[in-house]
Amino acid sequence: MSVKRVGDIGILAVVATAAITLILDGWVGAFPVELFRFPLNILTMALWLMLLVYLYRNHKSSSLARALLSPEATYLSLFILATIGIALGLELRPSTTAWPVVVGLLFILSHTTLVIMRGWRDSRGIRWRFSITHIGLWLALSAGFWGAPDREQLRMAITTEPTNEAYTMEGALRVLPYDVTLLESRIEHSPQGTPTHYEATIALEGKTVSLSVNHPYNRTMAQKIYLVNFGTTTSGERYAVVEIVDEPWQWITASGVVMLIVGAVLLFARGPRKRGVQQK
Amino acid sequence: MMAGWNIFPWMAAVVVLLSASGAIIALLRKERSLMAILLAAMGIATMATFITMLWLSLERPPLRTMGETRLWYSFFLLISGLITYIRWHYRWVMTFSTMLATVFIIINLAKPEIHDQTLMPALQSIWFVPHVSIYMFSYALLGCATLLAIATLVRPKLDVDNAIERLLYGGIAFLTIGMLTGALWAKDAWGAYWSWDAKEAWAVATWSLYLIALHIAPSVMAHRRKRLFYVVIIVGFLALQMCWYGVNYLPSAAESVHTYNRD
Repeated sequence: MSVKRVGDIGILAVVATAAITLILDGWVGAFPVELFRFPLNILTMALWLMLLVYLYRNHKSSSLARALLSPEATYLSLFILATIGIALGLELRPSTTAWPVVVGLLFILSHTTLVIMRGWRDSRGIRWRFSITHIGLWLALSAGFWGAPDREQLRMAITTEPTNEAYTMEGALRVLPYDVTLLESRIEHSPQGTPTHYEATIALEGKTVSLSVNHPYNRTMAQKIYLVNFGTTTSGERYAVVEIVDEPWQWITASGVVMLIVGAVLLFARGPRKRGVQQK
Repeated sequence: MMAGWNIFPWMAAVVVLLSASGAIIALLRKERSLMAILLAAMGIATMATFITMLWLSLERPPLRTMGETRLWYSFFLLISGLITYIRWHYRWVMTFSTMLATVFIIINLAKPEIHDQTLMPALQSIWFVPHVSIYMFSYALLGCATLLAIATLVRPKLDVDNAIERLLYGGIAFLTIGMLTGALWAKDAWGAYWSWDAKEAWAVATWSLYLIALHIAPSVMAHRRKRLFYVVIIVGFLALQMCWYGVNYLPSAAESVHTYNRD
């Protein structure tokens, strides 16, 4: 099939997909992210990866593989990301679970996966800068995309009486397997009266823990507890609001972020590739 | 207490005088001028001295308010212009970078924004200084790349693609590091690496647009897609302005967690 024909079909596919996802979004509402909690997200991800590996290994010359690996697919991926940013920045559709966003991110991930498979090494060996930046991006995006259904954010108001009741951001009750008690809360002000430091000391699972802004408590590898607010009720009782964030994929995101930072340092240190090399 | 801001008009006058003198000499001399480089370097050193004094007088890094970030932007613009002049010897680049830096200095003079020295709890983090200063440096590099892109669109015979590409690589590298140090900080402060707050959304838009330019760059070096390349760089810079301060004027700014620098 000619390059022009592949291009025409590609444009048609992009327009059709955009239209279908917009219709879906208006018709059935946001993408049902919560259905893809563990283990369904892992199974779907594995199936998607297998399909991409199959496509790359067995049908690399097909129109679909060529289109997905083309420079135009790179521009389209970045254009989609920019459009998502602008749409969310302008609050045109203030949700990351909108169908066009979900499908757009899946396209970006698919393109990145195929590009990594193709480009991680060339005739001169492993392409370190390329691999570090693209695998870093892939890890960070994948953890955000596939890991989103497993992320849970709970809030609990704690007082000097032990409690194990926390609430989701939608207001649903969750009973925790441990009690949390507020032991002490402290606030410091500048001479001008502006708050400069908040701190709360809480007790949980037999431990005394200090919480302050930028200093959460790592309860487990996946869970952190944050101080959100504190004060005094009208009856004079002290309280604090803590947030419990469960994010099993957080270390994958962190690995991707660190790899991207290393890649950015290499991008600056080594600059553009030599022209002769590019033209090859 | 506020000695730093009190002397700003005088320090600013010295910075502009030195930098403008260097820029004019660079513009007039066909060869690379040591005098121009020295004058520009002295302007940068004066700006660095003022920032240090402000830092000491405020007893916190001067990176919190819009006025303070404009100060860093002017500083890094002068540095980027000088580096571009030394490295590629574009005689006019320091004129543009000095003019742009002067615009931001004048805005600060017109709106001095003298605040109390409090650093709010959310900003008391090891990520604060690297995140903001790296971002400001990337803005300056990308500002210089934008000036060159506009100049090339106006005068197509200019051969500045190599410099634009270099500045773009440096700018995107620092933009990426600035964005990701922000993500690591956000995880510690609010529990999420990325929450698609309006400012974060514009940061992604800016980053993506510049990455499009970065991926087009090899074609440009082979004399293709040149006009698209320059246009994307300019559009990226407009998105960057939205991310930096434009977002503060959107309705969503009221709910943004990034509202320390609205003053």
